[in-house]
Amino acid sequence: MILDLHNHSIVSDDGRAKVENYCQWIRKREIPLDGFVLTEHRQFDDVSDYRALEDEYGILILKASEVETDYGHVLVFGVNDDMRAAYDFTRIDLPLALVLRETERCGGVAVPCHPGRPRVGLFDHFDAKGVVAGVGVIETLNGGSRGEEDARALALAQAHGYRGIGGSDAHIVSQIARCVTRFPREIRDGEGLVESLRAGDFEAVSWK
Amino acid sequence: MSLGYDDVDFGAELPPTAPDVTLATVRRFTAAAGMTFGRFNAHDEARKEGLPGAIVPGIMSQGILVALIHRWAPRAVVRKIDTVFRAPISVDSHPVARGVVTDKNDETRTIEIDLTIQNEAKETRVVGTATVELP
Repeated sequence: MILDLHNHSIVSDDGRAKVENYCQWIRKREIPLDGFVLTEHRQFDDVSDYRALEDEYGILILKASEVETDYGHVLVFGVNDDMRAAYDFTRIDLPLALVLRETERCGGVAVPCHPGRPRVGLFDHFDAKGVVAGVGVIETLNGGSRGEEDARALALAQAHGYRGIGGSDAHIVSQIARCVTRFPREIRDGEGLVESLRAGDFEAVSWK
Repeated sequence: MSLGYDDVDFGAELPPTAPDVTLATVRRFTAAAGMTFGRFNAHDEARKEGLPGAIVPGIMSQGILVALIHRWAPRAVVRKIDTVFRAPISVDSHPVARGVVTDKNDETRTIEIDLTIQNEAKETRVVGTATVELP
């Protein structure tokens, strides 16, 4: 099963893509993508209901979040009420250690994204402030990466023993499915995604 | 042929363009726009600001993207253009501007176009969308 684990819709302040247009694009271009995850910035989207689109297009649409920490941006999968009570998704200076610990405690998975990117990526902060324990998975392939950012992420993932996912980080329709994650098992919902991420059973794939 | 709303399908690609961003052209633009900053008009001045060289002004990039739309559909009315400048476009480089139709609204006869400008390394440096009315 192939999922794109990092995308933004118009629900995000800088997102310009409607979710239905993502679905139309995937079908129009015959992209072999089984589903995608909406990781809206600094929030979890309680309101939007994409079940009708899932049925119409036969595409799994899951919701997660991208939060901002003192070590860069982090994707949070398996968001629930306990997690949202544990830390404030709207903050831009969340302590990474807190996000890692509480996400794990609440049954989710925290994945630092675009870690090779200056300022908003994990590894610049590792260099400046030291390594934070508790990271297990990072986004090694990001659709918006430039230069050597992905190569740096891959190299440091290997050095630290992290597993890698792929996500497009799409903000406009045509940028979806540039980087994806392949899972050997079927995933039907957010819980299944968290289980597979926790099991470490996946690989990042670039379709750039 | 003059392109109209009914001629355009979801997913249609606009013919890409290779805009002229040589220093001479950028200087002509900045002179017309009153943008006399060194970062746009002189490589050495830009380097003093920590840039790798002179950069193309954001509004010139927007102009390049609007021109891309009008080359494709001369009678189009660009109602809105919205761009994110992820990284600078270097003066004297060889970027490529692209567009693709990603939504249609039959009521307003408008389309949404995804827009990008990539550099030679195929890095997307400018990304955006436009709302365009077609006859």
